[in-house]
Amino acid sequence: MDRVEEQKLRESLKKQMPPADAELWRDLWPAMLRRMERQERAGVPWFDWALLALVGAGLLLAPQVIPMLLYHL
Amino acid sequence: MDLQERFAHGERDAFEELFRQFQGEVFRWIMRMVRDRGAAEDLTVETFWRAFRAHARFDPKRNFGGWARRIATNVALDHLRKRKREGPLPDDPFAGAEPADPAAKGNPAVLRETRERIAMAFRGLAPKLQAVAALALIEDVPHREIAEALGISEGAVRVRLFRATRILRHKLKELVESHGPS
Repeated sequence: MDRVEEQKLRESLKKQMPPADAELWRDLWPAMLRRMERQERAGVPWFDWALLALVGAGLLLAPQVIPMLLYHL
Repeated sequence: MDLQERFAHGERDAFEELFRQFQGEVFRWIMRMVRDRGAAEDLTVETFWRAFRAHARFDPKRNFGGWARRIATNVALDHLRKRKREGPLPDDPFAGAEPADPAAKGNPAVLRETRERIAMAFRGLAPKLQAVAALALIEDVPHREIAEALGISEGAVRVRLFRATRILRHKLKELVESHGPS
């Protein structure tokens, strides 16, 4: 496709689609604070607890790996 | 210690200052890609949330605006992917738009159909092509800026634009022929 065709497409798109009215009408900081508070309330995600439980169960079932893990830590 | 260094150390006051300084710029960038005010506001907050969580990885010598724009681009692309998976919304931001050119005002039914065809053609593009097409073809963003925001080369932007243009042209063949420059 040549530049003329691209230009044709560009112009017909612009005829039908307005430029994005991109000015921010309000301060989003309050929304940001709500987002941060929500995350703080949520605390530790469930999969972290699941991973911890899995590791704990693994150590109970195979306690012989504990010295090896301690050595590598 | 300057503002960016304080942010990198996780100071919330510094984050708030940067947020207030850059929220408009980030919002405008996202809006150009997703073209939906409500979604763009939510995505702006999501961008800064991701930035806040990643503060320890931020290099204070870098420009915060550029870094935030990269994050915003990824957030917007995630949104476009989700929108594509979930299908069109009743208030589709492309379909509901008024024509930019007053001369294009004519038969409302024809105009509506034209806009719907353009909206469908855009929605049909892969999100990465959709973002490049919206930025380059409609918003006239320079290729260099698009490349920086997407983390790709200018050559890759041109390739994506070529592919998007080819697909759009194929889908909108009659439209382009009837609305071409006179």
